[in-house]
Amino acid sequence: MQAHGKPGTGIGARLRRKEDARFLAGKGNYVSDIAMPGLMDVAFLRSPVAHARIRAVTAPAGAEDRVFRAEDLGGVKPMQAQSGIPGYRASDYPILATGKVRFVGEALAMCLGRNRAEAEDLAGEVTLDLEELPPVVDMLAARRAGAPLVHEHWGDNLFLTTAVDGRIDEVARTAPVVVKREYRMARQCMSPLEGKGVLAYWDDRHGQLVVVTSTQVPHIIRTGLAECLGLEQRLIRVIAPDVGGGFGYKCVLQPEEVAVAWLAMKRRHPVRWIEDRREHLTAGANARQHHYLVTAYADRRGKLLGLDAEVSVDVGAYSVWPFTACLEAAQAGGNLPGPYVVPAYRCKTYSIATNKPPFCPYRGVARPGVCFAIELTIDAIARAVGREPAEVRAENLVPASAMPYNNITNKHYDSGDYPKSLRMAMEAIDFAGIRARQRRGEADGRRIGIGFSTYTEQSAHGTKVFASWGIPIVPGYEQATVRLTPDGGLEIRVGTQSIGQGLETTLAQVASEILTIDPARINVVHGDTALTPYSTGAYASRSMVMAGGAVSRSSTVLAGRIARIGAHLMQCRTEEVRLAEGRVFGPAGDVSLEEIAKVWYLRPDQLPEDVDLGGLEATVGYRPKVDTGAFSYATHAAVVAVDPETGVTQILDYVIVEDCGTLVNPMIVEGQAFGGAAQGIGTALYEESSYDEAGQPLASTLIDYLLPGTTEVPAMRMQHIETPSPYTEHGIKGVGEGGAIAPPAAIVNAINDALAPLGAELGETPATPRRVLAAILAASERQAAE
Amino acid sequence: MIPITLTVNGRRVEATVEPRTHLADFLREQQRLTGTHLGCEQGVCGACTILLDGVPARACLAFAVACDGAEIRTVEGFDGDPLMARLREAFSAEHALQCGFCTPGMLISAYDLIRRLPEADEARIRRELSGNLCRCTGYVGIVAAVQRVLAEVPKAATAPSPAAEASPSARADTPLWGKIKTALGAKPKA
Repeated sequence: MQAHGKPGTGIGARLRRKEDARFLAGKGNYVSDIAMPGLMDVAFLRSPVAHARIRAVTAPAGAEDRVFRAEDLGGVKPMQAQSGIPGYRASDYPILATGKVRFVGEALAMCLGRNRAEAEDLAGEVTLDLEELPPVVDMLAARRAGAPLVHEHWGDNLFLTTAVDGRIDEVARTAPVVVKREYRMARQCMSPLEGKGVLAYWDDRHGQLVVVTSTQVPHIIRTGLAECLGLEQRLIRVIAPDVGGGFGYKCVLQPEEVAVAWLAMKRRHPVRWIEDRREHLTAGANARQHHYLVTAYADRRGKLLGLDAEVSVDVGAYSVWPFTACLEAAQAGGNLPGPYVVPAYRCKTYSIATNKPPFCPYRGVARPGVCFAIELTIDAIARAVGREPAEVRAENLVPASAMPYNNITNKHYDSGDYPKSLRMAMEAIDFAGIRARQRRGEADGRRIGIGFSTYTEQSAHGTKVFASWGIPIVPGYEQATVRLTPDGGLEIRVGTQSIGQGLETTLAQVASEILTIDPARINVVHGDTALTPYSTGAYASRSMVMAGGAVSRSSTVLAGRIARIGAHLMQCRTEEVRLAEGRVFGPAGDVSLEEIAKVWYLRPDQLPEDVDLGGLEATVGYRPKVDTGAFSYATHAAVVAVDPETGVTQILDYVIVEDCGTLVNPMIVEGQAFGGAAQGIGTALYEESSYDEAGQPLASTLIDYLLPGTTEVPAMRMQHIETPSPYTEHGIKGVGEGGAIAPPAAIVNAINDALAPLGAELGETPATPRRVLAAILAASERQAAE
Repeated sequence: MIPITLTVNGRRVEATVEPRTHLADFLREQQRLTGTHLGCEQGVCGACTILLDGVPARACLAFAVACDGAEIRTVEGFDGDPLMARLREAFSAEHALQCGFCTPGMLISAYDLIRRLPEADEARIRRELSGNLCRCTGYVGIVAAVQRVLAEVPKAATAPSPAAEASPSARADTPLWGKIKTALGAKPKA
């Protein structure tokens, strides 16, 4: 396949990453790599039970000054994520468990040692007196009257119930085809390879608490820390060094961050907590678990007439700060219609409290679940009307001629050709060839199936969208600073965070596009509240759209100032000059950016009298023209082989056709799509944080929690469509999350396609061998009974 | 505390360690070689893969005391190594890394694979790298990078150089060392 990419070093170039060299040398600098004199380690003593009243937490004699319990953290406030959505119940999320423990892994005490081993030794000596309470583990059971209550004073286990009340009764009465399905997605753990880590110390010189943390959102961590610690924000500096993957796990304030920051203030020496994998897999099992009841109404050709759904989200015990316990359900209700024309829609959502870790927004946020539900439903409709699922899908997609299109939940689909992405995927995966192969059958007895999944990804959700979700931190204008250095290099300062997605390269490309400076001479400074403009950070596929737009706008302002000085030096009019190859060209000559920078900084006697006093540094805010986000979309296609004897599924081929608007760096876009898809493959087939009836996590190691490796993830292929957004700078749309959205749907559709001759159908992730066999068995029992 | 002497990246190191300190903690905390990353401390993720007497091993599963007398090579120990230089170049060209956390272990497994199996096809590459997890890339770039190096490097160049043969890492295993390495989970040479 011909590599997609434009020549040069600006937008569209397939440029190698500036950040690679340090990582390849083993010189990345993650939180756990930082050494400081006097640094001590913290281990958290975590609850061994899912639900209990705390009678006493007792430090061993002689170690009272190294064990910190909730009552020792005087003045530290719990995290409380208020929501503007009516009826929402905020939960106090205590920094250390207070009164009750509500999930296995909840921190009960913080123990200090010279190293982690000593801290863990100490944690092992702390005595717990817990009065066990019956836990509520299953979210549907939690909705029933009489269920144990996670927060007694609520009277039930509901953070929030929402309803999109569309008129569906008429459709329900008259639709010739009715398809009802129940779907489940397992609880998951995001599992960045680097766990969470935080190191804090008091900086006497600046009079500041410095918190170095593995986060996607340094500025909002500062805001959150200030609230919990009762400090002015100017007294806190948050630094995010290299971050070994985030995926949403690191976009919330975590209790350990608050506890360690508090301890550093109290002890006045550096302390750190480095999450280990067992902590992550138990206390961090906090994503994806949805349950759907879907009734779809269609005509005899499979054209959707209406959709009626009930969505339940197993939010766990508390509401995370700042994204609340209802972001997931709010997004599910709004996104379930997907890329389709849905004439009538009704949806009720439940955000349910259980004795499990608090839900965080994982890559794709709700959309892997809604995509799974709607895409499996489309295939089920096709089977019900006896037609090819791909054709029914194509006929239901919003056509290109309807763009821009406001869907039934008022999502503004800005541009693109959804059916084209499906057609391209069908061609790339050789749809006709696979159908022919299926007719021939396999020599080894396996069954081949092909599945598709088309989705939209609202990226860089705008201010009003966030405000409608009611969360306490609403992003607005994203700012970037660009500064020409005295020798003609460029520094870019952004408040968002590079967590592996390559912003040190792509933001340099945006500046290079405008200022024509070689990215090798551009530094992107990020990850430090002391050095960068405020940003709500890296989540919601927003950084390239928002920070990219801000870098573009500030570079444009800087270009104007450069041109003015350049024109003066060449004694021509500003309108006569242009920037190219890192130089300013006039009618009769040119000057380098280095010469221009030198004049501003070192030879101001040569400046024009009317020079802009902003100098060669500009900070500009940016917000897209609309507040409804930039809609990327894609079709994923999967071919699988399912062994009906063992239930094992193998992915034989995988194709992605994606349109994320203008590609800033096609290589990085492909990396995001492939990496997201690998996580989606984990969702589809392998990853599951299961719990027993007592609320004990059953997957506490990477031997129980299966992350896909090189032999599980197939060689994937990708094709691009490039429809620039009409509303964003350079037409950029977000792309970080999309890859993770479609695979569960595409792969389970493929499995169901393979099993269709057996009459078997799955509606649950992960599609483990046990579940595949259960579906086959259920089908054969059903057929025997008929 | 127990005294040990070992070679780390060609440098003789004398240290005292607690019996329970694993090799990765020893390298990271005592030697300040933080390129060896800890992703699971259970031998599954592969981020801490180093060369132990020339053979890939999990530094999180090896006790430092058990490595007395051993030769350790970490990601920081490949300056001037032409094969590692090519691998690094290929990793960058093929976008085989994103957050960089799995990268040191991945590089070391890939380095070992290229030297042992210069004829490896894609399926074999995937099987050989299945002990190293990456959460970012989907492995597409990683597999492509290894394929690129295998395609561009003449087989002779991937074979151990005479200098390497003369180094302690290439010495014949003593029976004791064989047992220890097996116990430590070192991969046997194909």
